[in-house]
This record gives sequence, C-alpha cells and structure tokens, in this order.
Amino acid sequence: MQPRPCPNQPPSVYAPRPCRLLSVTDLTPQEKLFRLQLHDGEELGHLPGQFVQVSVPGLTEAPISVASSPDRHGAFDLGVRRAGRLTTALHALRPGALLGIRGPFGRPFQLDALAGKDLLLIAGGCGLAPLRSLLQYCEDHRDRFGVLHLLYGARSPADLMFKEDLQEWQQGECFDCRVTVDQVPATGCYDGATGLVTGLLGDLDLMPHRTVAVLVGPPPMYRPLLEVLERKGIAKTSIMLSLERMMRCGIGKCGHCSIEHLLCCQDGPVFWLPEIEYLRGAL
Amino acid sequence: MTATLTTCPYCGTGCMLYLLSDGQGRLVGVEPSAGHPVSRGQLCVKGWNAHAFVQHPDRLKTPLVRRNGTLEPAGWDEALDLVHQRFRQISAAHGPDSLVFFSSAKVGNEENYLLMKLARVGYGTNNIDHCARLCHSSTVTGLVETLGSGAMTNTVACLDETDLVLVIGSNTTEQHPLIGSRILQATQRGCRLIVADGRRIKLSRHADLHLRHRNGTDVALLNGIMQQILELGLENRAFIEERTENFTALQESLAAFTPERVAAITGLQADEITAAARMFGTAKRAMLLYAMGITQHSHGVDNVRAVSNLALLTGNLGKPGTGVNPLRGQNNVQGACDMGALPDVLTGYQKVAEPSVRDRFAAAWGRPLPDRPGLMATHAFDAALAGRARAFFILGENPVLSEANQAHVVKALAAIDFLVVVDIFPTETSAFADVVLPAACYAEKDGTFTSTERRVQRFRRALPPPGEARADWEILSALLERCGLPAGYPGPGQIMDEIAAVTPSYGGISYPRLEESGLQWPCPNHDHPGTPILHRQSCTRGKGRFSPVDFRPSRELPDAAYPLLLNTGRTGMHWHTGTMTRRSHLLDREEHSAFIEIHPEDAARLSIRDRQQVSVESRRGEVRVMATLTDRVPLGQVFMPFHFVEGAANALTNNALDPESGIPEFKVCAVRITPC
Amino acid sequence: MLKRLDRADLEKLLAALATGYRLLTPQRLADGTRLHRPHGEGALALQGEPVQRKPTEAFFPQHDPLLRIGEQGEVTTCDPPDRPVALFGLNAADLACIAFIDRFFADPPADDHYLARRKDALLVGLTGFAGPGGDFLPPANGMCDLELLALGQNWLGVPWTPRGEALLEGFPDGEQAEVEELQETARTRGNPAQDLLEKAAGLVASEVVPDDFWREIGDRCILCSGCNLACPTCTCFCVEDRQEQAATLRSRVWDSCQFDAFMREASGHNPLGTEALRTRRRIHHKLAADVTRWGEFGCLLCGRCDRVCPTGIGIQAVAAEILARFGA
Ligand SMILES: Cc1cc2nc3c(=O)[nH]c(=O)nc-3n(C[C@H](O)[C@H](O)[C@H](O)COP(=O)(O)OP(=O)(O)OC[C@H]3O[C@@H](n4cnc5c(N)ncnc54)[C@H](O)[C@@H]3O)c2cc1C
Ligand code: SF4
Ligand code: SF4
Ligand code: SF4
Repeated sequence: MQPRPCPNQPPSVYAPRPCRLLSVTDLTPQEKLFRLQLHDGEELGHLPGQFVQVSVPGLTEAPISVASSPDRHGAFDLGVRRAGRLTTALHALRPGALLGIRGPFGRPFQLDALAGKDLLLIAGGCGLAPLRSLLQYCEDHRDRFGVLHLLYGARSPADLMFKEDLQEWQQGECFDCRVTVDQVPATGCYDGATGLVTGLLGDLDLMPHRTVAVLVGPPPMYRPLLEVLERKGIAKTSIMLSLERMMRCGIGKCGHCSIEHLLCCQDGPVFWLPEIEYLRGAL
Repeated sequence: MTATLTTCPYCGTGCMLYLLSDGQGRLVGVEPSAGHPVSRGQLCVKGWNAHAFVQHPDRLKTPLVRRNGTLEPAGWDEALDLVHQRFRQISAAHGPDSLVFFSSAKVGNEENYLLMKLARVGYGTNNIDHCARLCHSSTVTGLVETLGSGAMTNTVACLDETDLVLVIGSNTTEQHPLIGSRILQATQRGCRLIVADGRRIKLSRHADLHLRHRNGTDVALLNGIMQQILELGLENRAFIEERTENFTALQESLAAFTPERVAAITGLQADEITAAARMFGTAKRAMLLYAMGITQHSHGVDNVRAVSNLALLTGNLGKPGTGVNPLRGQNNVQGACDMGALPDVLTGYQKVAEPSVRDRFAAAWGRPLPDRPGLMATHAFDAALAGRARAFFILGENPVLSEANQAHVVKALAAIDFLVVVDIFPTETSAFADVVLPAACYAEKDGTFTSTERRVQRFRRALPPPGEARADWEILSALLERCGLPAGYPGPGQIMDEIAAVTPSYGGISYPRLEESGLQWPCPNHDHPGTPILHRQSCTRGKGRFSPVDFRPSRELPDAAYPLLLNTGRTGMHWHTGTMTRRSHLLDREEHSAFIEIHPEDAARLSIRDRQQVSVESRRGEVRVMATLTDRVPLGQVFMPFHFVEGAANALTNNALDPESGIPEFKVCAVRITPC
Repeated sequence: MLKRLDRADLEKLLAALATGYRLLTPQRLADGTRLHRPHGEGALALQGEPVQRKPTEAFFPQHDPLLRIGEQGEVTTCDPPDRPVALFGLNAADLACIAFIDRFFADPPADDHYLARRKDALLVGLTGFAGPGGDFLPPANGMCDLELLALGQNWLGVPWTPRGEALLEGFPDGEQAEVEELQETARTRGNPAQDLLEKAAGLVASEVVPDDFWREIGDRCILCSGCNLACPTCTCFCVEDRQEQAATLRSRVWDSCQFDAFMREASGHNPLGTEALRTRRRIHHKLAADVTRWGEFGCLLCGRCDRVCPTGIGIQAVAAEILARFGA
C-alpha cells in the first residue's frame, strides 16, 4: 500500500490543509481522542505509524501520530495528551472546529516486514495512540499475520487510554492482549495486573525466529524492555521502535529531531533497532 | 532593506548592533557591530533577539483613558489634557509633593532629563526616582562617599589587561554576558579569577577560588579578606599614604574579623579567606566587579563601602586593569542616574539641596526649583498608603512585578487617586492606570543611552512607532508645554545640547561626536576625548576615603516556620518583568514558565520531584511554580527569577530597606516550600 | 570565455546587474562592519574579511515569513520579492556554503519556500587578491554564475553558467595563463585550516574525544547562539506565529542547537539536556554527522563562528584544541 497522493496539492510544503473536527472523546484525564476529516473530503492517505503536523493558528504546530488505520475511511483519529500550550488549546476545542493538518509524514511501520510474522506489539503510556493505527490495521487484515501479542502498560488505571478498545481487544480473538499498570492508588478499584510492562513479557510464549517486536512508548521504557527482549531471544533486526523528538517541520528541514546523522521525522519515527542503537542519545 | 546602527535595549554592557529591516517595515534580524569596543562583532542571546519584541501585536497603539472602570481608547490631546488637569488639581489640593514621578532606565537620557525637569519645574516636586533605587542606589550612595563618583571606575576593555578579577554578587555571564565572556577570555590568557557567590554560577567553574559564602554575609567576607591582607602585609602602603584617608579607623574596625570569626559567619573555611586575601593581595592589578548580589541588601551601602575599602587598601584604583566596577543592570540605568532622575540630585549628581545648584538650574529653566529632596521610589508606596502621595506618573516601569513585596505595591496603587503609565506594552502596573500612554520603543526613536562603563552612545530610529504611539520625549515635551515651559525641541539632539549646557560631566557631549561608538564621561568640553578610567591622579572627591563597616545580618533569616533562604535574581534568557523577552519567541521558548531552584537534598527531604509544581510561601505571599532540582544552589537556599507574573518572586521578597539608599532586600528572605 | 575587467568595466558589470536584480554588494559601514548592502547605498568594499552576515540570509533570513492563515483557515503563502537577488563578492567558502544548503533544502521533500527565493538568484564570486588588505583568496572554481578573480587593479572574469556568460559578453578577453597562475598560488599555499579540520573530524567521528572535553568546552559557552546564527550552513529553525489583524502570520526564525529547549520535549525529556551534549552536537554534527549523511563536511571554513563567539570556542578553535589534546 502506497500513500495516496493528495490531488489538491497545498500551495507550499508548509501550508496546512483545513480539517474539520468531527468528535472529541475523553480517553483519560490528560488525553482525548479527536476524530477529524479533511475539509475537502480527501482521504489523509497515511500509513500506520505516520504522523501529521496539527496546526493551531497562534500556537504553531505539533506532531501527532495518526491513531487510526488508513482503512477506516472517511476520517482519522488523533489521541492527544495535554502536554503544553498547543495541546491544551486542542483539548479546549469542540466538534465543528476548524484545524490545519500537514502530512502525513515519516516512515511508517514496515508492513511488508511484518507480514506473515508473529507480532509482539508493546505500548507504554501515550504510545498506544500511534500503535492503534497498526492494531486496527492488524484487525482489518488479520489473515496477514501470525500470533498477535499486545502488551500495554500505563502509570495507573486512570491513565489507561482507549479503555473500550482494550476491552474489545482483550475479549476478542484477534490479540493476546495483556495490560498492566505501574501502581494502583489506595482508593482505586482495579483487578488487573500491576507492575511495569516488562513484567508482562515474563511468561509469554514466543517463537523468537518468527516474531517481530514493535515498541512504542516513552524514552525511559526502551532500555529495560530491550534487555528483556534480548533475553527472550528476539533478534535486534526483528525489533522496530518509534521514537519521539521535538519537531517543527516534519520534512527534515528544521533540524530539531536530529539523532546524529538521522532525522527522526523523515528517517523515522519508526526505526529498526540496529539503525539507531549505536547512535549517541538515540535511546 | 535597511540596517540601522543602534544600542542594545537590554543590559548595561552597552553593545551596539544593527537592526535589520526588510524594507517593507518589518524587522527581520540583528547583526552585531564589528567596530564597537564592547560588542566587537559579538552579542549575547538577548542582543541577537533585540528585534523580536518590537512588532509584537500586544504593543500599545493608542492612548487609553479609564471611563466607568475600563480603559478605553482616547485621543492624545484628550489624554494629555486629562493628565495635566488631574495633576494640577491634586497638586492644588494636596501640594506638589503629593505627586510622584517614576522615570525609566529603559528610555533615553534626553527623556529622563525631560521627565525630571517636568517633575521639578513643571509640577514643582523633587519626587522623582527610577529603578536604580532597586539595583544600584547603594552604589551611588556608597561610592560617592568613598570615591566621589558612583559609577564604574574603569572600562570593560580593562579586563584584557588585568591580572585578577574578583567577581562578587554578579552572575556576569548571564546578566552582563559580554562582560562575562570577556572575563572568561581573560582566564584563558592566565588571569586569575575569584568568584564569591553562593550559587555555582558559570563563572565559578572557571574560578581559581570559588567562595560560596552565605547570602548576606558579604561585609564579613570582605572585612575578613582585608584583615588577612593586613595580616600578610599585602596592603599597598604607598597608595594608602598618598591617595587615601581614614586608614587607621579601617584598621581598627578590621581587627575583629579574624578568619575564624568570618568563617563562622559566612560558612566558609578559614583558610579560604586567607587564600583569597593572598591571591588578591599579591595580584599586580586586580579588578573588582560586583552587581546586585552586593547592592540588594538591607546593608547594601555597607557592602559597597567594603568593596571600595578593599580596592583602596590594595591600591587597585585609577589605573588600567583595576577599579571598583559596579555592573549597572539596565541599558540606561547609568544614564537615568546621570540625568538626575533621582530625588536628591539633578544632572551629573548636582545636589538639589545646594542653593547654588538650584540657582543655576533656575536660571537655565526659567523657574525656581523645589529645595527639599523628594521621595525615594521605595518610600513612595508607603507615602501612598499614608495618603501623602496621591498621583503617580510611571514611565516605562512595572513596579507591580519589580518591587519587593508585591502585595504592598498593589495596595498602594489601588489607594492613590490618579495613575498615569507610559509604556510600550500593557503591564501588570498599567492594569491599575487611569491613563495609559503608548510609547515608541528604542527601535522607533532617536536618543542616547549611557552604558555601565559611562559610555554615552546613540540609539537610532529603524522604523516608525506602531499606531499612534509616540516617543517619550515627544510625550514629555507636550506635558512641559502644558506646564507653560518652552519645549519645542526639534529632536533629542537639541535636548542633549541643553543637558550638556547644565551638566559639567556631559559638557562636551553632542550628537555629532557620538556617531561611532560614543564617549565616556566625564567629557567636560568639546575637545575632551572622554574618560575611560576615573580617579587617575586623585579621586573625584580628592582623597579616597576608607569607610569602615561592621557586619549586620539580613533582616529576615530562615527559621523553623520558614526554613529556607530565598535568593532572587534573573536568568540569562529573560529581562526583568519579561514584558519584552517573554514576547520574543526564542527567549520565551527557552524558558516559558516560572521555576524555583532547589538543592536535590532539600528536595528529597521535602519529597519534591524535578519539574513538580510546588507552593512557595513567605510571610508576605505565596506563589506556585515548578521545582528545578540542581546543586547550583547551596543546601538550604532556593533561587527564583523575578521574570514571571504567574510565579512572581516579588510576591515573596522582603521590602526591608537599606536605611541610607532605600534599596530593598531582594537577595535574602525566608520561605517554606510544599509540594502541590 | 575568460574576460579581463578594469575598474570601469567592473562598474559597467555592476550597473548591468543592478538593472535585472536586487544587487547586493559588500560595503564597509561607518562602524567598520562589512556587510552586503543594496548596491549604491555606500562605497564598495572590494577587499576584506568575509561579509559579516552570512550570505545565505538572502534566501533564508533570520525572520522568514512563510504564510498567512486567515480566519477561515485559508492559507496564503508569502511570495518571494519581485526581483531576484544578485549577491556580489562571495569567496569560495561562502559559495560552498550556499551550495551546501541548496542541496539540503532541495533534498526531497523539497523546501519550496527556500527554492522560490533561490531560484533566479545570481551569485558572483570574488576571489584572488580580494582578502583583507588584498590578501589572497583561493579561486572558487564554480559554484557561482560568474567569478571575478582579483589581480590588483583588474579582475579576470570567469563565467560558470550561461547567465554568467551573457553578463560578461562584450568585455575584453583575458589570458588563461593568469588564471593558472592564481590556481598555482592556491595550490602552493595549500589549505592548512582544512587539514586541521579533517584531522579533528577524524578524531570526533571515531569517538576518541571524551565527554569531559565537551563538558570543558561547554562550560565556556555563554549560550549566545551566535555560532549558529552566524553559520551559513546552519539551517535549523523554529516556527513562530503572530497575530496580524485577523490573520496569523507564520514565520520561521533562526534557531540554535546550543539552546536547552532546542530538543526539550513537552514532557521534559531532553536528548540534548546538558551543555556538554549540545557542544558536542554543534561540532559533531558538522564534522561527523553531515559527512555520514551528505558525504561532506558541514563546515566550509568560512570563519564566522570563530569571529562571533564571545568566548573563543568557534569550530576552528575547538578543532585545534582537539588536535592538540587527542591528536598524538
Ligand atoms: C512523531 C511524533 C508523534 C507524536 N504523537 C503524539 C500522539 O499521538 N499523541 C500525543 O499526545 N503526543 C504525540 N507526540 C508528542 C506531541 O507532539 C507533544 O506532546 C506536543 O508537541 C506538545 O506540544 P505543546 O504545544 O502542547 O507543548 P509545549 O511544551 O507548549 O511545546 C511547544 C512546542 O514544542 C514542540 N514540542 C514539544 N514537545 C514535543 C514533542 N514531544 N515532540 C515534538 N515536538 C514537541 C512542539 O512543536 C510544540 O508546539 C508526538 C511527537 C512526535 C515527535
Ligand atoms: S551583553 Fe547586554 S548589551 Fe550586549 S547584547 Fe547582551 S544584553 Fe545587549
Ligand atoms: S567556520 Fe563556523 S560558521 Fe563557518 S561554516 Fe564552519 S561552522 Fe559554520
Ligand atoms: S558562539 Fe560561543 S558562546 Fe555563543 S553559543 Fe556558540 S559556542 Fe556558545
């Protein structure tokens, strides 16, 4: 599947395309799900793992991963954490509002390399939003993959994103879906697993030679996770991860996302582990 | 596409730069001046962003007058008439001394001159002051007593010739970056560096000796160093004999400051004090640099005296590579003082109380002058609360954020009858105003600033002011005219000519002579080349006077209820109350919210994580800010910049004043911190 | 065709350039700063140090309006000025820097905003005896539309593009031997700065420079950002929105990797969170990362960062220090 070129070429690589906000759903106290539609009715034309630059006039732009599969036509989702000025402004928007979108940008999850494989899909915190585009894709094309393990860790039960989706994934046939939280507040009622997401890997039955691991999470998650994966016998060449960096342009010009000679927005955000592990400051 | 050579609007270092515009009225950048003796083709981060705030949409563009509680646009004539009429009324009812004028270290010399003229002969009061009260009033008081002139004795270029630099109470690389960098360059060529500062500032990483004495114990430290210099016989006997007086008194006063006692007061080791004395005393030429860490104390003047004593004791005065060098904060705070925007002096520090001075000015201005020195800015708020001060004219200052004890200032501004604010942006202070007048900023008018090294230099108009905004000198001229004083100045150049005529130290200064990189005062006549180094043959006052001082602790120290010492100041990215830098994109991005620096061990004890929101309380107020864990601050001390309205350090600080200079104790108060 | 121009010819050439282009020529301003200014504003300064402001500014200015967003989200781009620019008087290093960022911005996805400003611009090299006090500057051998090789009172005109050819038409022919003489001078003088940079680059790329070294250099940085702002191959930018009447003006502004917030994310995570890391990045990026990505140094030795750094840690100073300490 190739990105579909947009027939209405914007006047410049920096020009956002108008985009209508269809609905807003609370995911957690810090995160909301935004369903958007390009104003001219065009498809976004993205691939799982890509991101868009969301433009809010007055507050510039922020990179946000698309949280829905390209095959869910007509609209696309963004799961956004309230982190600063622009994301706070997004959270205040009501359905019907007009936004700007540039993109999609970046190198997606390598679907070709995933085809026919068992997938070990691991998300931490906000990372479930980008991963969801791949999860939906897997659901829609279940026959293209072997066993699908989905592991997800969040800070606390309240921080679990996409609770309805998780319930479906846990109850459905598609995924072997396991969820954990770091800690449960004294007052909370939660009967799931606790501990770090690495803990979920312990008793997992994997076939290392036919498994590809896909990791999306906050920077501190990667190192401990990679250690466990190594112990489990997953080859580095079978580990794909998505990195987050400060970004201003999405097209490899602004320089903020560089990792040594690589540019996260163009060469990533999805990388194979061997491409980056030797680079200073990558992980 | 235009390139306009002008002076940086931020610090007193006085770099010159080109403001670049695209030819369609938009400023697009900055380029340093290659030939200027201080900038030398270089700038600090604020200078590189000096264009960024100028065309911000928040700029004030029309006069505003309060009607039924809200500020509404008004015409210039209406607004100025109202100001004049209300000032006249209030003066008639309560006397001219019920009017208070605050001038600004951000506007030109000409404008400071006009405002002090307006206050004194337009409205008949000496109640004129400006923010120097908050930064270097201790310097002016202290150095005038000991040396006869309250300015930096030497010049920035002297750093290239000195053998030792003692920096005390100045975070030079962040606050006077192009002086700080010059110090770093000096250390590279082998110059020794002593840094006396509780915080681990950048300079301290290059210091041969870093003295982390407790905040507020500078007198003890400096006396201790001098005691040891005498003990080691490193004083400059010849200089003391020839050029100073009152040495015996000093000697006696120092006896009690033994290393052991000083160590106990300052928290230093006794041998650190001896080491400092040896290093300083044996240096062939040593420069003393200081700033707000010395002046902003309830014993600020004593601190300055002690610094001056040390220079005199070692003969480090009146020659290249030496001197007592107060680093003036604002780009034109030196000039605002020179221009007599002070309650007790006229231009060139000529005393108001002196009848002959008043006579000369009366002859020049055609009106008699009030003879009683006026109110200091820091006392004006008390006077407002007591009902004695009833109308304020505030030009380019934001006391709601910049004065100590914010609640006190707010109460005072709410209590007065009439407030006029002239500014380039709406500020926390203009929110209280009855009339707001929009001013042109440095990039939109002509004038001169005087840098910390007494260099009078030009700033030049690069583009027109926004909307109906006017240059401050035009606004003030219009008021002078309403007071019946002739003020038809064609431009600031003619105002400077008037200044030169009444000010001996500026006597030789005129615009044509300032074309390239300015002149350093004193410059008494038109052939005089200016004076890079003061006190060469003798001090301005004749003999340098030793002024013995005793150690007095700060007014409010940590205790059980408020266990941490709060130190306040600035960061390298922002300027004062942030009206300009927080509207400069890159500077704002670099630091966009209020924070407090806490030592990791203190934080651990208080269960505070890095980047966590905390509540900081003092006896005067409470603010919420983000905690930054760092060992830059010593254990038991916290540091907050005062740039941020949403976490205003000055809601906490103590307005305990130095009895002589009226400077508040910004550098020491007691707080407690709790996680939110 | 090689041409030979005298002073009158040079003026004729400049006059021709000024009709078709916004011609910028090097001029020395009252305070001594040498800058590119609109031709005719002040006296030409045909000899001297490189113009202080980076010449790439003509295509990538410090504050660069990109587009306007209207109330309904409609976007209008900021069009380039009517007349293309002609930059006169560039030395070999500056021409190489322009070539470097031309390729950078054209690399897909291309930066159409930059290209629109660059497209019809004309570059005129000025080398030979055109340095400070008539010092020798090595020929650029291309990278421009036409090059003038200064000989003293005369200039050899070498066209490198058809546009350059057309501009030189009608001037008297020059002697190829004179060009060769200049080439020979360049060869015998060599390029010691380049040698030094290459050696230091080798050390940086092979990671023999310890973190302590970067910390020590970083300790001297006062965070002025000048090194980046002055560097013609530095292209990093930040984006600023500003309300102008009802519309939002979106601009890009020069940024600096020496800033703490350059890579600091909203979460507080910062891959360049210390001065040592940022200092390493500044040097490593030009001497190692760019070589890996583009096959070329990101520093073309224009000399600006060493001039602008208030504490003496521009790239050549740091390279010299690296070589002195770790080059044995
Ligand atoms: C490839 C990619 C995908 C992302 N996907 C998501 C997602 O699906 N959901 C989500 O909630 N967040 C995502 N983020 C993070 C999100 O971009 C930041 O949280 C957001 O930019 C913060 O902007 P702000 O204006 O609210 O914060 P502020 O702190 O006010 O930031 C100011 C500016 O800094 C930049 N910035 C700050 N942090 C980041 C960052 N982490 N990454 C990039 N730029 C930053 C932005 O340009 C922002 O406009 C993603 C980041 C990247 C790089
Ligand atoms: S050091 Fe001071 S005067 Fe110089 S550029 Fe910086 S703020 Fe401006
Ligand atoms: S010398 Fe400095 S400014 Fe010039 S190209 Fe090299 S790194 Fe950039
Ligand atoms: S020019 Fe020098 S001091 Fe300024 S940011 Fe660069 S390295 Fe630091």
